[in-house]
Amino acid sequence: MAMHVFSYRLKCLLRDKESVFWTLAFPVLLATMFHFAFGHLMTGEPAFEPIPVAVADGAAYQSNFALRQMLEAVSADGENQLLRLTVVDREQAERMLAAGEVVGVILPGEGSDTGDATSVSLMVTQSGIRQSILKALLDEYLHSYATVSSIAAANPVALFGLIGELGARESYTQQVSFSDVLPDSSIGYFYALLAMTCLYGGFWGMRNTNDLQADQSPQGARRSLAPTHKMAVVLCDWAAALVVSFGEVLAVLAYLAFALKVQFGSQVGYVLLTCAAGCLAGVSVGTLIGTMVRKSEGLKVGILVGVNNLMCFFAGLMFVKMKDIIARNAPVLSYINPAALISDAFYSLYVFDNHRRFFTNIAILCVLSAAMCLVSFMQLRGERYASL
Amino acid sequence: MLISVRDLVKRYGNLVALDHFSLDVREGEILGLLGPNGSGKTTAINCILSLLRYDKGTVEIFGRPMAPDAYESKRDIGVVPQNVAVFNELTVEENIDYFCGMYVEDRAVRRGLVQEAVEFVGLADFRRFYPRKLSGGMLRRLNIACGIAHKPKLIIMDEPTVGVDPQSRNSVLEGIRKLNEHGATVVYTSHYMEEVEQLCTRIVIMDKGRTLATGTKDELKAMINRGETITVEIYALQDEDVERIRQLPNVASVEYDDNRLTVRYANGQHNLLTLLDFLKSRDLSFEKVYSERPTLNDVFLEITGRQLRD
Ligand SMILES: Nc1ncnc2c1ncn2[C@@H]1O[C@H](COP(=O)(O)OP(=O)(O)O)[C@@H](O)[C@H]1O
Ligand SMILES: [Mg+2]
Repeated sequence: MAMHVFSYRLKCLLRDKESVFWTLAFPVLLATMFHFAFGHLMTGEPAFEPIPVAVADGAAYQSNFALRQMLEAVSADGENQLLRLTVVDREQAERMLAAGEVVGVILPGEGSDTGDATSVSLMVTQSGIRQSILKALLDEYLHSYATVSSIAAANPVALFGLIGELGARESYTQQVSFSDVLPDSSIGYFYALLAMTCLYGGFWGMRNTNDLQADQSPQGARRSLAPTHKMAVVLCDWAAALVVSFGEVLAVLAYLAFALKVQFGSQVGYVLLTCAAGCLAGVSVGTLIGTMVRKSEGLKVGILVGVNNLMCFFAGLMFVKMKDIIARNAPVLSYINPAALISDAFYSLYVFDNHRRFFTNIAILCVLSAAMCLVSFMQLRGERYASL
Repeated sequence: MLISVRDLVKRYGNLVALDHFSLDVREGEILGLLGPNGSGKTTAINCILSLLRYDKGTVEIFGRPMAPDAYESKRDIGVVPQNVAVFNELTVEENIDYFCGMYVEDRAVRRGLVQEAVEFVGLADFRRFYPRKLSGGMLRRLNIACGIAHKPKLIIMDEPTVGVDPQSRNSVLEGIRKLNEHGATVVYTSHYMEEVEQLCTRIVIMDKGRTLATGTKDELKAMINRGETITVEIYALQDEDVERIRQLPNVASVEYDDNRLTVRYANGQHNLLTLLDFLKSRDLSFEKVYSERPTLNDVFLEITGRQLRD
């Protein structure tokens, strides 16, 4: 019975050509526009500007041979130049950072965990792509250094060969692009686009609520009269909406990856997981609005579009600074805004090495969706209606 | 009693749509719920089916209280709602299969039932059509098929033939009679008195949310003091003859106007024969004679002072 209801629901939704067209065409169109707008960034041409960085000079820096060698290597002139390095004293460095002359300040000898002479930390005032690259570079350096140390402890002879390798000029630049993406700024737009596509799942959730409630449509009334448990019908519909929505996101993802050659790096699994959680949230938002607003379909769709856009706006998908403004003035909002959670999950995927923040985002998304579904399902469960 | 409704009251704000409405449906009958538009037929059906919240009253179906989660009862009920309730994305066949599948799990059994339903409503040539491609009458027939494909014990139809062309309508009515012969009990709402008269074994006349009268069509007609009406086209009838006709047995009233004699009878038998005998005995020649039995409209008119159809 459940399979019957589910498969027919899937048919209904997939054959709703207008909705399928709009929920697919818009992201694809936008992606294509992005592609032409940022085309040069994706062809791998060195449109990349070296990142201005200051290093706080001092005993710690001068004595840290490995760090110095690495930084000098990646800031040497040439095709692979990654950094534009300025070595100044710490106060000067911080002034430069405040003035925006440099993107970050590298502080040798300061580290959160080790505190020993080889540690290093990074000071930035904003989050962004260039800051992320810096962070990835230093993380990679620390990681390599730890490798070197442990090898040195275990097998001092092997160290000679390795140091030569680490010191090689290209070594670090290659390390930075280890996830085979040079994290260029355009990827952020594509992640935003995916988040938006996820939220389009709301249209399917809303269509379901329309076809489930006796006071919203004759079909809803008719299905309320069937002997199939109403909750089962609700869940089958919901599952179908989720599948359609996820399928669409996959299609957009495939278009980005294969047609536009956008690189998603080595984290494809996590990207898919984010999409799935995003669709869950998207469908849930639509379901909630569809059950709470008992007005004409046009009005409901309007409200959904408005809510989606507002969420995207507050998540900084249209105006990047918005995310920081929200984080500073209304931090709660970024925890209950699905769009912010989706985009932050994507963002943390390529900024942070560990996945703690990523999974926090995914978990909150799931909890939020569960709450929205619970409220909607209670409503959809089907009591008598005041008026049809 | 298959359905037992007691004292339903349903208000929409200040409007009382059902005013202590009661109804009994007996097993095996075709019950007609007849009333003008806005009399509360749909509201009554929706309350009975637990779609609508009501202010007062009780509804039992199959001897059990009806409720939104009375799934056992729902399994044996087939509903043809007033508003066509099919999915535009599914073909004729798929729509019937979809609704039937919510009642009947076995695929093989279902396939047979769907085919039967398709033939029943005469849409065999349109199996693969999408609803958008169907005419209004065909849509109505699809709606009927979706409601009855699973062979329910109790069929509730709310104005199922609105907009169906006369020919299809007759075949639909014939089909309903067949379903009834095979054991289904039918509740049929309509504002077409001809349809109800033709089809239903028992009729409930309702108006303004209330039951006005209940009975077979003959019982209902017997309730009013009127038999047939005979109209004769006849020329140059003398006043004196008109007066004599007035004296004939059972005659309630006589009019002669524009060469047309209209004689209304109270009840009674052989009225036409008596009248024709009289005309012959007076050597009066006439053109055409019509005899009309009283209609449910006359019944409605008598009780409410208004026509059933406006
Ligand atoms: N949703 C509603 N809100 C307010 N009034 C309604 C609603 N539905 C029906 N009514 C009113 O209730 C009365 C009965 O309507 P209805 O049951 O549809 O009659 P019928 O089916 O006999 O034509 C009418 O006066 C109608 O205007
Ligand atoms: Mg009605």
